[in-house]
Order: sequence, then structure tokens, then C-alpha cells
Amino acid sequence: MQFEPMYYDGELFLPKIELNMTSNQSIGIITDLKRKQLLMNQLVNHSQYYLFRAQQNEYMRLTVEELITFLINITERNDRVASLIDYFALKEERKVKIKDLSSSKRMYVTLLRVFFAHQPTLVLEEPYFYLEEQDRRHFKRILDDLSKEKQILILTSNFEDALISCDEIYRLNELGFHQLDIRDSEEDKQEVQEQDRANITLQKIYTKRNDKVILFNPPEIDFIESVDGSILVHVDGENYDCALTLTELEQRLLNFGFFRCHRSYIVNLQKVREIITWTKNSYSLRLNTGKDAVVPLSRSKLQELKALLNI
Amino acid sequence: MSISLKRAHAIFVKDYKEFSRNYALSIMLIFPIILALLLRAADAASSLPGSFATVLNLSFVFLTCFVQACLIAEEKERNTLRSLMMTPATTMDVLIGKSTLVFVMSVVVLAIATYLFGYEPASIWAFVAATILSIILYTAVGTICGLFSKTLLDASLSIIPVTIVFSGAPWGAFLVEDYPIFKVLDYMPSSQLVHLLGLPPTDFTTGELLNPLLIILAWTVVLTIVSVVLYQRRLKDE
Repeated sequence: MQFEPMYYDGELFLPKIELNMTSNQSIGIITDLKRKQLLMNQLVNHSQYYLFRAQQNEYMRLTVEELITFLINITERNDRVASLIDYFALKEERKVKIKDLSSSKRMYVTLLRVFFAHQPTLVLEEPYFYLEEQDRRHFKRILDDLSKEKQILILTSNFEDALISCDEIYRLNELGFHQLDIRDSEEDKQEVQEQDRANITLQKIYTKRNDKVILFNPPEIDFIESVDGSILVHVDGENYDCALTLTELEQRLLNFGFFRCHRSYIVNLQKVREIITWTKNSYSLRLNTGKDAVVPLSRSKLQELKALLNI
Repeated sequence: MSISLKRAHAIFVKDYKEFSRNYALSIMLIFPIILALLLRAADAASSLPGSFATVLNLSFVFLTCFVQACLIAEEKERNTLRSLMMTPATTMDVLIGKSTLVFVMSVVVLAIATYLFGYEPASIWAFVAATILSIILYTAVGTICGLFSKTLLDASLSIIPVTIVFSGAPWGAFLVEDYPIFKVLDYMPSSQLVHLLGLPPTDFTTGELLNPLLIILAWTVVLTIVSVVLYQRRLKDE
């Protein structure tokens, strides 16, 4: 799958992207609304891509059973309605009209359209956003089954949604298109142990989110803060839990240009834009991360910082 | 372009269910019947010329054209039409499925209205042919209205100009003496229908019969082609 670069106001808004998609794999791209639209607008080939947009709505006055019958007939599949309804776990809602379903169920039923797509690649915009926990599970199961034969691309602005069913996750923003390092927790523990045994210093910072371990390269990190005893690693406006203590992190990150600017803050000096003087004895650091992030700077650390930066 | 009866049938059944459960739309089915009863009473009192043609001309717009426009606009509003474009269903499948539903309903309801009004045509074949051609014609107009509206509300409003241009055309004849330009309105399909239905049952020539029929046929062919072409073009832009 290939996307052409797009310029907006003379600046590169969408870099050239090439995705090597194999089947049995689903890819997630975390990006904002505008970039989502631009990406989807490039996928115009209806014989190649099935596009599910977030605004997709459904025939409100049909019952669930009638809708599925319609979808089977229109796509000329040979499935039986009853067995599909079982597979979708919609037996209880069989006779309910779409408009009378709960909003989560209605979205779930609407999402079933992708099941009937004949295109080799399915592109879904925000599939999990409106779903409740149970419907998420059902839909994840269906997507997992679909991904055995098809390539699936999920576009979302929510990292957690991408984690639900993606094998590879990319982040697309003004900094470009980068792959996030996610692995299943169990795999990862083994690797960490092996690395310890080989006595290799770990260069990645591992954090947890939703039982998945996410590894960050130190330069990606904006700053790290300690809140009520738990350590939060801030990356691009979102935060991730980390099991290490600030002191451990400080040692580990010293060589990457990080600086303990406060009792409960470590900041990536590469991202510091401005030293703000509030009063004579109180200071802050403003970061150039796009989202206006400000980190406190202790008075006692100011001299150390000035020495580091040769001011 | 392949046409699959199975897919067209699926669309027909789906639209029938949607239509019959949407009371705001399906109430339009009794409109021609009420109009026929009302104008029959008026006709008996003062014997207006062409009153049955008025029943037909208004019914075509408010039933055939309106329902078709709403069916298409509602699909557009919910983005289901875009989704249909990504299924194996072709443009023709969708149009045929929808138009057949509208056609069948119009034929049944107008047959009842004709029976209730007690209209006796000069030539039954010419009458049936003109009615069927008009239904196809107004279905095409409805398709065009649906394509230019984004929501159901737009579709309902788009009916107003159609009513003025098509149903109002025969009344334009009253203005011809003051403004000769309105002679053009005589070539509207609705005006031709008035002429055709106004023929006396006994003495008419074949030319009088064929002339309106041919003009209506020309309108039908042109508008049907325009609607299909527009449909394909509009959906590509989306």
C-alpha cells in the first residue's frame, strides 16, 4: 500500500508512506482527523480497498436479521443467515430494529459491513471508538478471523484502540511516520532476561499500557514525571506507566541528553525550547513538542543546567 | 455493466421494508386516492376540463418522484449508498431495484385512483402507455432530485420546483394570451398528458393520439439517460 506525499501551506503534511502489507497481519496508524481523511481519500480504488468511514450509518428500519439477509444477498455470498447471526453473537437482537438497538450495538452491527467486503484490503476508521467492552471483544474476534485472509488497516486517533487488534502500529504526525515498538508482555519479559544475561545495557525505556509493553527510544520521550509514586513517561502528549524509579531512569538516560530538572521530573534537553523565569526564585522549562508542555525547574538545578548548556 | 436480478431483488426487498415502515413516506400512497375522490366530486359539480389529468400529474410528482428522491437521499444521508458502491452491486442494480419498487407502487395506486374516479379513456392502450411512460419519466426526475440532495429534508424541498415546473405547466396555458412565451409549456409532458386524456372518446384521429405519446416518450428517454449518467457521475465524486 502506498500513499503519495501531500503538501499544505508549503509544508510537508503527509510524507510518502509505503506499507508492506501481508495478509494475516493488521496495521494501525495513529493520526489526527485531517490526516485520516487525506489517507482515506487516496484509497479510491474500490476493487482494492473497502473503506469503512466513521460516519457510516445503517438502514434504521430493518431488523438485524433482515439487514444481514440483505448484506448476504447483495454480496452474493452463500452463507446461511442463522449461522452468521450465531457467529456475530446477535441471536438475542435478531428481531430488533436497528434504530432500537443501543448505540454501541448499532455501531457494532454497522461495522459488520466489513465482514461482507470482497476487497483484499479493509480500511477502518475508528472502529472501536463507539463500542462498549463486550462489543469490542466480538468485533476484535471477527477482525482477527478476517485478517487470516485479508489485510486490515485501522486508522484511529486513539492509541488504546489501535492496541486492541493491531500487530504493527505507526504514528503519523507533524514529525513524520514512525513505527511504535509494541510487543506482547510475555515475549518481552523473556527478551529482557536474555538481554540481562548477555549483559547488554538496555537502551529502550519500556512502559506498560493495557497489558502490552511498549518500548520507546529515549529521543522519543519528551519528559518523565512522578505522580503519586507512579512514573509517567510522556511521549507526544500521551503518557505511559513505567516501572522504574526516577533515579534509575536518570542514570539510564544520562547519556541521551536527559536532565533531572526537578525532584519529580526528568526532561529531554533536546526538546527544551525556553527557560521561563516566573519570579526570581521560580523557573520552568517550555518544551517544543507542539502541545504546550511546561516542566518545572528547581532553583537548585538552574546552575547545573546552565553549566550543562554552557550558558 | 452486468445486471444481477438477485442483487436488484435484494435492494427491492430492503427498500420495500424501509419504505413501508417509514410512515412519513408511505402515507403518500393514499394521496392519489384522496385526490381522485376530491376531484371526482368537483368534476361532477362543474365538469372542469382535464381534471383527471390533474390527478395524475400531481400524483406523479407527490408519489413517484417524491418517494424515489427520498429513497436515494436517505441512502446518501446515511452513507449507505457509498457503502453499496463498494459491494458487487452495480449502479444499474441499485437503480433498477429502487425504481421497480416505485414503479409497482405507482401503477397499483394509480390503477385504484383511475377506477375510483371512473375515468374512461379514448383509447385504453394510449392511456396505459402514457401513464407507464410518465411513471418512468417521473422516477427519473426523482432520481435527479435525490442526487442533488444531501439529506431527506433537501429531497422534500427539491420536490417544490418539480411541482411548479411539471404539475403547474398545464395551467400555464391560461397565460398564453398575455405572454406568448408560455407556449413552450405546451411541450411539457404534463401538458401533453392533459391533451391526450382530454380527447373525446369517439371522434379523434391517430395523429392526435400519437403526437402527445411521442412527446412524452422523448421526455422519458432523455430524462432517463440524464438520470443514469448523473447518478454514475455524482457517485464518483463522493
